[in-house]
Amino acid sequence: MFDIPFNILVMQAVIGLALGAVFILLASGLSMIYGLMDVVNFAHGVFYMLGAFALFQINMLVGNFWIGLILAVPLVAGLGALTEMGLLRPLYKTGNPLYPLLLTFGLSVAVPDVVKILYGLMAMPVNYPEGLSGSFMFWGLIIPKYRMFVIVVTAVAMAALFLFLKKSSLGMILRASTTDKLMVDALGVNVSRVLTVGFTIGIGLAALGGGVAAPMVAVEPDMGLNMILQSFVVTVVGGLGSLGGAIVGGIIIGQVVSFTSLFAGEYADVVIYLVMAVILLARPRGLMGEIGRE
Amino acid sequence: MLKEYLNIVLVGVILLTLPLWISVSTATDILIFGLYAMGFNVALGFAGVLSFGHAAFFGLGAYGAGMALRYFDASVWISLAWGLTAASLGALVLGAMCVKKRGVYFALLIAAFAQMFYFLALSPLKHITGGEDGLKGIPLLELRFPFHLNLGDPHNLFFFVLFLTLVCILIMHHILNSPFGSLLQGLKENEQRLKACGYDNVSIKILAFTVSGLFSGMAGALYTVNLGYVPLDSFFWLNSGRPLVMTLLGGMHTFFGPLLGAGIFIFFEDTVSVYTPRWEVFVGAMVVFLILTFPEGILGSIKERLNAEGGRESGKVAMWLKKLF
Repeated sequence: MFDIPFNILVMQAVIGLALGAVFILLASGLSMIYGLMDVVNFAHGVFYMLGAFALFQINMLVGNFWIGLILAVPLVAGLGALTEMGLLRPLYKTGNPLYPLLLTFGLSVAVPDVVKILYGLMAMPVNYPEGLSGSFMFWGLIIPKYRMFVIVVTAVAMAALFLFLKKSSLGMILRASTTDKLMVDALGVNVSRVLTVGFTIGIGLAALGGGVAAPMVAVEPDMGLNMILQSFVVTVVGGLGSLGGAIVGGIIIGQVVSFTSLFAGEYADVVIYLVMAVILLARPRGLMGEIGRE
Repeated sequence: MLKEYLNIVLVGVILLTLPLWISVSTATDILIFGLYAMGFNVALGFAGVLSFGHAAFFGLGAYGAGMALRYFDASVWISLAWGLTAASLGALVLGAMCVKKRGVYFALLIAAFAQMFYFLALSPLKHITGGEDGLKGIPLLELRFPFHLNLGDPHNLFFFVLFLTLVCILIMHHILNSPFGSLLQGLKENEQRLKACGYDNVSIKILAFTVSGLFSGMAGALYTVNLGYVPLDSFFWLNSGRPLVMTLLGGMHTFFGPLLGAGIFIFFEDTVSVYTPRWEVFVGAMVVFLILTFPEGILGSIKERLNAEGGRESGKVAMWLKKLF
C-alpha cells in the first residue's frame, strides 16, 4: 500500500494484534461480569492498573519478571474477590443495577489516587524480560518478540477459559447462572459464591492484561482510566455478554488503532469510537451478541 | 402562584448570601456545577435515564461558547446561545443514536462518545480547540446589553451567573411540573404502560435527554464565561462523574438535591485541595461510603423521614417542610 514496505505493514499488524490481545483480556472479563451479574464493572481499569503495578513491585523485589507476572495475577484477583464479597454483594439485594455501577465508579476514582500517594505520579519502568526484547526474523519479516509473546499468552488464556466454561462442571454452573440465576439457586447451588468466582476470574484476566501490557506501556496510576472505556467499546463492537464477541472485537479494535496510528496518528484515539458508532447503527447487538441482551 | 415558587425564592435568597460565607469564586463554581448536576438529574432522577457521558454536553457548551467568543468576537449572550445550541444538538443526536439501549449499556455508550469528543479536541482538532492546553485567548468579557457590566469583576460575574442559574431553575421547575414532566415520571416508573397508553416513549426519552443536555450545556457555557478559557478536562469522563456524585450526595429523587450536593462537593473539594492534591481519593471514598449507607442522599433521607412524620397528626410542620423540597 502506498510506499510503505510490506515488512512494516506486517509489523504493524503484529503490534495491533498484541494491543488487541490486551483488549481481549480486559473485554472478556468485563463481558463475563456483565453477563453474570448485570454490572458493568467500572473498576476494571483499576484492576488492570493494579496488575501492572503488582508486577512492577514484585519485579523490583525479586528481580524476576516471570515470578512477578505469575504472582501479580492471583494477588489482584484476590483483591477482586474481596471487593465483590465486601462491597458489591450487599448491593445486589437493593435490586437497582445503578448502585453496583456507582460503587465501582467510586473505586475507579479513589484507587488511582491511593496509588499516586504510594508511588507518585511518574511512570514506573518495567523492562522486557530477558530473551524477549528485540525481534526475530520470520520468512524475511521482522516480528517483535514480546508482542508475539503477548499474543500467545492471550490465546492460551482464552483457550483455557473456553475449556473451563464448556467442559468443567463449575463452568457449566457459571454459564447457567448467566441465563437463569433463580433456577440455579433452586437446584441447590450457592449462587452468590458462583458470582464471586466469576468476578474473580474476570478480575484475574484484567490483572493478566495489566501484567503483560506493563513493558509495552507507561505504568502509571491513570493508565486504566482510558483503558476501561476502550475495553467497553471492544465489548460493544463484539457484543456485550459474548466471549467470542470480546475476541473478535479485540482483534478488530487492535488493528484499527494500530493502522490508524500508522497512517493518521492523531486520529488513533478517535477512530475506535467511530467504529463503535457505525457498528451500533448497522448491527445494534454487536457482531456476535445475542438478541435481547443489548 | 406565589406559594408554588416559594421554595425557589428561598433557595435564591440562600444562594444570594453565599459570597458572605465563602469566597466568591467558590460560590460561582457552586452555582455552575449546581446547574450542571440539576440538569443531569432531569435525566437520572426524573426520567430514570442514567448517563455516564454528560461531560460531552458540558464540554460542547463550554467549547461552543468559547469558540464563539474567541473566533467570532461574539457578545456574551450570543456565545451562551452557541453553547446551548451545540450542547442540545449533541444530546439530541447521541440520545437518538443510543435510546434503544438498556440502562447501564446506554450510560456507557454515552460515556464512550463523550470520550470521543475528548480525543477529538485533544489532537485532530488541536488547531481550533487548543489541544491539551485548552482553548485560550478569550478576550476579557463584559456585558453590553441590557446594561453595561464588567464581568472581569468576580462579584459582577457571580451575580450574572446567579441570575442565569435561577432563570434555568425556574424553567426546569416549570418543565418538570408540566404535563411533559408527568410523562417523564411515567417513563421512569413504567415505560411499558406509558407506551400502552399511546405515548411515543422513544421520542419522550430523547426529548428528556435533550433537555438534560441543554441545561448541562448552559452550565458548560457559564463555566467558560467564568474561567475565561476552556480546559480540555471539561470533556474527560471524570467530569461526567462529578454531577453524578453531586446528585447522589444531595439525593436524586429531589429537585434541589443536586444543588445541595454540588455545594457540599465543591466546598469540600476546594477545602481539601488546599491541603493535598490527592483530593480524589476522598471523593471516591465518599461515593463508596454513600452508596453503601445513604443511597438516597442528604435531602432524600430528610424527605423520607418527613414522609414518615407526615403520616401522623403532629406532622403539620413536616408537611410544610416537605413542600419545600
